[in-house]
Amino acid sequence: MKFWRKEKSILYALHPEKIPASGARLTYTFGLGGIAVLASLVTLLTGVALTFYYVPTPTDAHASIILIQDVVSFGAVMRGLHYWGAQVMVVAVTLHLARVVFTGGYRPPREFNWLIGVALLVITLVWDFTGYVLRWDDGAYWAFLVGTNLLREIPAYGETIYRAIVGDAQIGANALLRFYGWHIFGLTAAGVFGIVYHLWRLRKDGGISRPVLDENETREFISRDELFFREFITSALISAALVFLTLIFPAPIGTAANLDAGVSDVRAPWIFLWVQNLLRVIPPLWAGIIAPMFVLALIIALPFLDRRGPGRAIWFARERWKPQAILVVIAIVLSALSVLEVWR
Amino acid sequence: MNQNGNEGNKGNKGKRDFLYFPSTWFFIATLALFFATLAIVWSESHQPWREWIARYNSQNAVTPVPIEIRALVPTQTGKPELCVTCHVGIEDISASHPAETFGCVVCHGGQPRALDQDRAHATMRGGRNPSALEVAAQSCGQANCHGGYADPDAERNHVDRVLKSVQATYAGGIAHVRFSFGAQKSPTALFGNRAVSDATQVLSPQLRALEMFPANPVSGTLDAKMIACLNGGCHLWTTPAKPQAYQYRGSGCAACHYVYADDGLYRGKDATIARDQPGHGVAHQLTTAIPFSQCNHCHNRGNYDLRTMQFDRRDDLPPVARPLSAQMPPEGRRLIEYYQPIGEFTKCEVELNCVDCHTAQEAMGDGHIYGSKKDAQYVQCQTCHGTPASKPQTAIIKDANELAMRQARINGHAEFIKVGDQVIATARGELLWSIKQIAPNKFVQIDKVSGKIYNVPLAQGSQCTQDGKTQTSDYCHECHKVVR
Repeated sequence: MKFWRKEKSILYALHPEKIPASGARLTYTFGLGGIAVLASLVTLLTGVALTFYYVPTPTDAHASIILIQDVVSFGAVMRGLHYWGAQVMVVAVTLHLARVVFTGGYRPPREFNWLIGVALLVITLVWDFTGYVLRWDDGAYWAFLVGTNLLREIPAYGETIYRAIVGDAQIGANALLRFYGWHIFGLTAAGVFGIVYHLWRLRKDGGISRPVLDENETREFISRDELFFREFITSALISAALVFLTLIFPAPIGTAANLDAGVSDVRAPWIFLWVQNLLRVIPPLWAGIIAPMFVLALIIALPFLDRRGPGRAIWFARERWKPQAILVVIAIVLSALSVLEVWR
Repeated sequence: MNQNGNEGNKGNKGKRDFLYFPSTWFFIATLALFFATLAIVWSESHQPWREWIARYNSQNAVTPVPIEIRALVPTQTGKPELCVTCHVGIEDISASHPAETFGCVVCHGGQPRALDQDRAHATMRGGRNPSALEVAAQSCGQANCHGGYADPDAERNHVDRVLKSVQATYAGGIAHVRFSFGAQKSPTALFGNRAVSDATQVLSPQLRALEMFPANPVSGTLDAKMIACLNGGCHLWTTPAKPQAYQYRGSGCAACHYVYADDGLYRGKDATIARDQPGHGVAHQLTTAIPFSQCNHCHNRGNYDLRTMQFDRRDDLPPVARPLSAQMPPEGRRLIEYYQPIGEFTKCEVELNCVDCHTAQEAMGDGHIYGSKKDAQYVQCQTCHGTPASKPQTAIIKDANELAMRQARINGHAEFIKVGDQVIATARGELLWSIKQIAPNKFVQIDKVSGKIYNVPLAQGSQCTQDGKTQTSDYCHECHKVVR
């Protein structure tokens, strides 16, 4: 009896028979999309495991994390992989986005997939923030308070949106449960659907973008086995890296949120440090709502600023300088604001 | 040019199947996964708490305890605490505070479910010492314990009283130094280490309130020198900055009740407390049987030089060698270890312990603010010995639960007195349980530390000529002078 028949394996079946070699080159994609998918899978699986131990109530949330971290067998590894998987996911998704901009991968027919990708970026960030809140330690609690209060700044509909998302008049047990629900059901459903849709659409759009061929050039392909092989190597190396990250830098957890004590240590997760910085200098509506929305709108608009000259699937093509320049400016401004926030 | 035209497979790349054609990369990747798995398993079996239990087993001559997570569920809180996983074998803090009842967290705070050292200790009250005065009101003095009672004069309000005592305020020292240098017009106390006030003051001499001594005075001024001196460890808010042998002590309640050896070394069973690093109590234990050596950690370690505004440590102490079992050294040695320029002792000072005469109210305050030690002390010769004209004042113990009985029990000498006994009462009506009348003219005293019984002679019918009306506390020194 033969258990392993690769042609009947589902993983195998999910892969195309062959893909153009130029789109699969390491120096073209750096495997970033794949790494993002892997990171999301690691985060998802460890997240499922964590739901067996996490208690989403204000009195027990923090204590249950301590329990996971220190007492539950392999709990620290589980939580560490969840944390580092999520961080790698954010980084990979962001770099993947940059790669697509710098190589013009959003060009038709892939412009719709660009929008799905941006949606996935937003989902990833919110996923990350809701997960951060579930720690219910001092830093997270106050970030939660500040973050949700920003919703109230939205003109006219602020309160409505706040009560929809927080599910209460102020944050507390209900809000924690709501965010737990968002984190493990709402965002997971949206995220998984988004990833599948993104990949499916990639196939429908003809695979990874590639340069237009000259008349006398031959398109080279790699087989399904080769693709599978590369995926395996990358996954194994990234997984090992995640494990060592976890063991060397355990996932952080602060002291339990103390609702009676005054605001002590508001610390946004690192992805939102730039917002935290802005909040210190400009009004909350502008810093917390309008600025992020503006950045998001810019990113969405990037493909439509392309002058549509040649240069498809070529790194840093001059004809496409506008979207690239805008992305660089966004990256520099957000990084600078974040670094300044850390230094203060 | 490929025969198949513009699109087609190239070379042998397409033929590779990773399961059947292992390559260098395949080898590296598999190895990485293997080591990652190994690392997970290794880290899981080498958590620090395992090492502490192993150290406990190797350090103590006991039946080895299994290396497992231990949870203590104190009956008071009902919430599991994992502290004893690492702190296995740690002593109960006292007979009146068994860990089974109170646990660790009720006093120490911290995160009881954590097994990681930093995480578990991050929110501890007062660091290692929950009785530090900054936090004593939340630990020792929390509601229904030793403080926080609505009636400021409630006998159990120890922590509230201590905060106003001269040992904590240092009001007399501050006032007299400032007065000596002309920084204030009278020696009346104005400042304490912290601001305190007393609404009820019924006793004389009274002080309504003390201001907080300026924490950041102009540098170079007298006050700046004084604050440096104060922070160096001469009152209950601090510990000595760089303690040497004979000087180790905690701050707050622990300064007196948590006994340190002269060498500052821990001799208990908890393997997490380093046995070769001075600065730990003898054991994780509180006591009211405070030996004179504990008082000496502050009161006999040198003297203040008013001219230089410096503390001169005495340098004539013998090297620390006293075995711990002999906490009561021979009387001759006590004379050597005792140090005051006056060098005068009464016999009782050589034989008894400080706490045998300096009552709880003297040492810990009575809830009122005093401007000097002299004002705060009230136990005199006549308190125990009476006057030539009369016997000492006494009172009968009426109830098994009254303060005197409780004090005897906590001290560990419950058998010394019983309901119906006649014991000494101070001028304030406070019962001194350790001195009882056993015959019309016969009083005996039990040493609170050693448990030895002493005969207490009466002034009545003796050569004593003191007048009770003009007596002060330092008159105790007048009889049986022993000069070193």
